[in-house]
Amino acid sequence: LETTLSPQAEVFEALQQLHMTVFSQSVSPCGKFLAAGNNYGQIAIFSLSAALSSEAKEESKKPMVTFHAHDGPVYSMVSTDRHLLSAGDGEVKGWLWAEILKKGCKELWRRQPPYRTSLEVPEINALLLIPKENSLILAGGDCQLHSMDLETGTFTRALRGHTDYIHCLALRERSPEVLSGGEDGAVRLWDLRTAKEVQTIEVYKHEECSRPHNGRWIGCLATDSDWMVCGGGPALTLWHLRSSTPTTVFPIRAPQKHVTFYQDLILSAGQGCYVNHWQLSGELKAQVPGSSPGLLSLSLNQQPAAPECKVLTAAGNSCRVDVFTNLGYRAFSLSF
Amino acid sequence: MRGMTDDEHLLINGDGTGDDRRINLLVKSFIKWCNSGSQYQHMLSTLSLCEFSMVYDMNLQEMENYEKIYKEIECSIAGAHEKIAECKKQILQAKRIWKNRQEYDAVAKVIQHHPDRHETLKELEALGKELAHLSHIKESVEAKLELRQKQFHVLLSTIHELQQTLENDEKLSEVEDTQETIMEADGK
Repeated sequence: LETTLSPQAEVFEALQQLHMTVFSQSVSPCGKFLAAGNNYGQIAIFSLSAALSSEAKEESKKPMVTFHAHDGPVYSMVSTDRHLLSAGDGEVKGWLWAEILKKGCKELWRRQPPYRTSLEVPEINALLLIPKENSLILAGGDCQLHSMDLETGTFTRALRGHTDYIHCLALRERSPEVLSGGEDGAVRLWDLRTAKEVQTIEVYKHEECSRPHNGRWIGCLATDSDWMVCGGGPALTLWHLRSSTPTTVFPIRAPQKHVTFYQDLILSAGQGCYVNHWQLSGELKAQVPGSSPGLLSLSLNQQPAAPECKVLTAAGNSCRVDVFTNLGYRAFSLSF
Repeated sequence: MRGMTDDEHLLINGDGTGDDRRINLLVKSFIKWCNSGSQYQHMLSTLSLCEFSMVYDMNLQEMENYEKIYKEIECSIAGAHEKIAECKKQILQAKRIWKNRQEYDAVAKVIQHHPDRHETLKELEALGKELAHLSHIKESVEAKLELRQKQFHVLLSTIHELQQTLENDEKLSEVEDTQETIMEADGK
């Protein structure tokens, strides 16, 4: 059904599309759907299986459903095996994946972590699931990591240590430890059992990677047990965690906003429209252009239930989500 | 006649059955036609019979052949699928090994920057020895200094004592002199 809009509304919609930024993505537990959250607080659900099938038409690249989720931008989303959790304007909301495709879907619950000041509600920049504990870690503008039990919804701990707001979180499965990186330029490792900071790496203090003209903020973080890669103001660098030494500095000037380990590569994206594929030795294996002028989030669909939907999706400063079926090139783009 | 098999018919009568027999009949009717000219239709029908039966047999054989080839291709496709899956596993394994090797290289590079442990230990030992030597010297110098100090102290106190004794002696002699003058003045 297409409703004809008045010319003013059409112009408004076109402007909205032009100024849209997609901040976050999350794949459904069945692997067939992708949720994307934008700066207007909307979440769109795309059907990956329809868009990837051989009979895909232009409509398959549009969302199946778009709904208004938050009053502010949706900065971060994660999925559990039944729920989609989204956060942005100081609140985290839970949605049921099974219900989400129906029109007029309402959130299952919403929670706000205990903030110290009730005047200003700080935004939540990052969410991290701890499957072993069935808990969720939230971090953002109030410089603390809050941990929430998913079963009861209560906030169990607040980890303090950062002196400025937190951008990104990562989970080190073996220990288990949580890594957080923020505006204060430090990557802090927290032990969940003792709720204490066990290691601090002040990235900007190391000559090899610091770039004072960019600032000291850590925009992205990823870890692979013994190794960590982080970037942002300082150059994208690979660190050996146990010795806290930087081993490889990746030669890219543009600050990177999202980084992840994948098989034997490190994938990163940031300013500039490229998805960069790095070897651990520091060599650039490939630089694949996307369709947005800058990228903010990468998502790899590795859900075992849908191997045919195993794709890399990238989104950023536009209304489009690029889909890479083979890592080497952009197959097509989904659009809000 | 009907009870015999084809082979027996061939052996006993010298006539082949089926196609061979039809061909023989055809040849005979052709000769008859050449001689009399009346057997034309009969000959044509025999000819078409031959053709059709042969074509029919040929088609059956081709079908069988195609079925066989089809099955073979299916088997090889399945085999190829398995090989692909196997190769994919091997690729994953190889990627893991490659990643491990790169991690090793990265750490090794950092380690190379630091100096050799043996050398550092040797340097430490040498420095320790120097330190011990120097503190030994310091101790001996301090001991010497103390000794000198004590000797000077003894010397100075002896001088003081001597001074005191001399002063006392002078005072005594002064007193004696004044006593003497008083006694002399008294005696006159």
